[in-house]
Amino acid sequence: MQTYGQEGALNTDTELSHVLHDSKHQAAFYVEENKPQDLLRSFISETGLSEEEAVEVLKAVKGGGGGGSGDFSASLTALELLQKEEELRSIVTFSSQLDESLGGGIPVGKITEVCGVPGIGKTQLCLQLAVDVQVPQCFGGVEGQVMFIDTEGSFLLQRVTDIAAAAVRHCSLLAEDDEQRAATETFTVETVLSNIFLVRCHDHVELLAELHLLPDFLSQHPKIRLLVIDSVAFPFRLLFDELSQRTRLLNGVGQQLITMAINYNISVVITNQMTTRIRDGQSHIVPALGECWGHAPTIRLLLQWEGSRRLATIFKSPCHMETMVQYQITPEGFRDADQSEMPQSKQPRMDTDQSAADPKETSS
Amino acid sequence: MNCDQLLLHPRVSAALRRVQLKSVQDVVCASAPDLQRLTGLSNSDVQQLITAAAAACRRHPPITAQQLQHGVSGVRLGCPVLDRLLRGGLPVGGITELAGESGTGKTQVGLQLSLSVQYPAEHGGLGAGALYVCTEDSFPIKRLHQLIGEQVCLRSDVPADLVNSLRFSDHVYIEHAADLDSLQVCLTRRARLLLARGLVRLIVVDSVAALFRAEFQADDWLERNRRLLTFSSTLHHLSQEFSTPVLCINQVTDVFSQSHNSMGPSSSTVSPALGLAWANQVMVRLMMRRLQGMVIRGEQSSALRRLEVVFAPHLARDGQDTAVWTEGLRGVESWTSNRK
Repeated sequence: MQTYGQEGALNTDTELSHVLHDSKHQAAFYVEENKPQDLLRSFISETGLSEEEAVEVLKAVKGGGGGGSGDFSASLTALELLQKEEELRSIVTFSSQLDESLGGGIPVGKITEVCGVPGIGKTQLCLQLAVDVQVPQCFGGVEGQVMFIDTEGSFLLQRVTDIAAAAVRHCSLLAEDDEQRAATETFTVETVLSNIFLVRCHDHVELLAELHLLPDFLSQHPKIRLLVIDSVAFPFRLLFDELSQRTRLLNGVGQQLITMAINYNISVVITNQMTTRIRDGQSHIVPALGECWGHAPTIRLLLQWEGSRRLATIFKSPCHMETMVQYQITPEGFRDADQSEMPQSKQPRMDTDQSAADPKETSS
Repeated sequence: MNCDQLLLHPRVSAALRRVQLKSVQDVVCASAPDLQRLTGLSNSDVQQLITAAAAACRRHPPITAQQLQHGVSGVRLGCPVLDRLLRGGLPVGGITELAGESGTGKTQVGLQLSLSVQYPAEHGGLGAGALYVCTEDSFPIKRLHQLIGEQVCLRSDVPADLVNSLRFSDHVYIEHAADLDSLQVCLTRRARLLLARGLVRLIVVDSVAALFRAEFQADDWLERNRRLLTFSSTLHHLSQEFSTPVLCINQVTDVFSQSHNSMGPSSSTVSPALGLAWANQVMVRLMMRRLQGMVIRGEQSSALRRLEVVFAPHLARDGQDTAVWTEGLRGVESWTSNRK
């Protein structure tokens, strides 16, 4: 049972709360789950509200705050949170070194930002993740769908098909038991492409509109595990003159993204451009969109050149060391730099397969 | 778009009229608590309003990658070797940049594309003309006529009577822009008109660097970046709205050791001009370099050049030796090249 003890906290409009305040002392209302019709009728007669308004008040009480986000309000203990987080699998990047330093890949339920100069491979990593999130569960994947918001126009079908074909080939080479062979039947380039939902946003208004509509879309497509925005910087950098408005809008975007990441258990991956900042007479290359935006992502990944090597640095993360790994962009996609080393996803599988093939091991 | 066009509860529409909130853009950009405070509407009303406004701003609902058009890949250059390097030519949406020192053959590429875009789709064109914006020099009209005359020779894959039936010079629209304001006017007015009428499906700007380098001093970089962003966003909008390829020719600047490694390995001592602000706006970056040596083919000889892919979402970092002949730019396969 809930009383109206704190209707001030409800987000109904002022007129309603005024009426509620007046009637509060005369009638104590209890929300009784089993008799909604009786409740509604007596509520209307007591307060003199219209039926529509009364329904709205009751809905607000039940929803525990009446926000659009539904049942996300239960508090959890740290232990429950830990268990919940351990259940969620991460999305592998196909670079074993990067996966290792990220503790298994790009985490679900968090925002990861990828920054870097043009041509370093931000889009390549995004496209790779859009394919990787679909890797079947029996191969250690997440087996989800992906929502790809393209603001730069750099989502080119040719390249996605390349990366998808390479991932499909990789999995079919690894398939050893019946379950995995069955999974490779359905894990084809066509299904990979049909599981990528694509939206093209041309400016910041379209991006904001899309983000408003996204919760509904995510409810309709519960298999979506990854949201990519490539890039956040591009539409917002045009608001060059209205910096305060830009900061306000970006804060809103950050809030929306983290709410969606938690409510729908999705991984949010966004890319950001770099910009030159002059400090102490020296020019530095720093992520764009300002200091304030730096708080929005949970993990910030910086991709940079060092001579002819490509390096990925985790330079903001609450749970990872600041590490630096080398990677490369091959025709197949985002990969480890050192080809002689076995991909990480292969190693544990080889061990288990060997033990399964060995009769002594399985019988003992 | 206007809020009046949305299907809303009369109560909501009345509240919007009262606070004079007219455009859906303003609604989408405002936060829900702000709207609630401003209009005095209830939370659920405001949510409905935002959803309706957001739906009005959205051009297309999400589609799957499979539903994307496989059709047109881009404008081919007309040389199979170079088209292989570019995986089918210049991509249809987005800005392609071609940078290089003077005399490397950048303008040749621009001219060649202005002609090849006029072929029908089955021969690697888009079946429409080209808009060529000159900011640096006067338009090389003689060279264009020479190229038109030699089209039969360059495009041996296309039936000769089709090549002869196309009236190339009627479909190259030439604009001269001597300063940034006239460039902006040219793009926002005339280019839009030509594109909307379907007369043009390619924009070449030769070159972007000239005006931006000439009009601003070193300490005006903030203003320069602002103008640069306005310019590139105009190009982006045109390119997307009419699915038109855009080629921007750029000059180069010498690099000093410090900034050198941030933009990646480069095989030369120059990098494209206009810095990071411009580089962020470019989807495909190509560079032309002069190499040591000459290529000889019959009577003609050409300096050896190299066309390099610096970055592109769909291309590998690669390069191809090329040479400029009377009929245009062609890739030089290593076994046919006859270096001296």
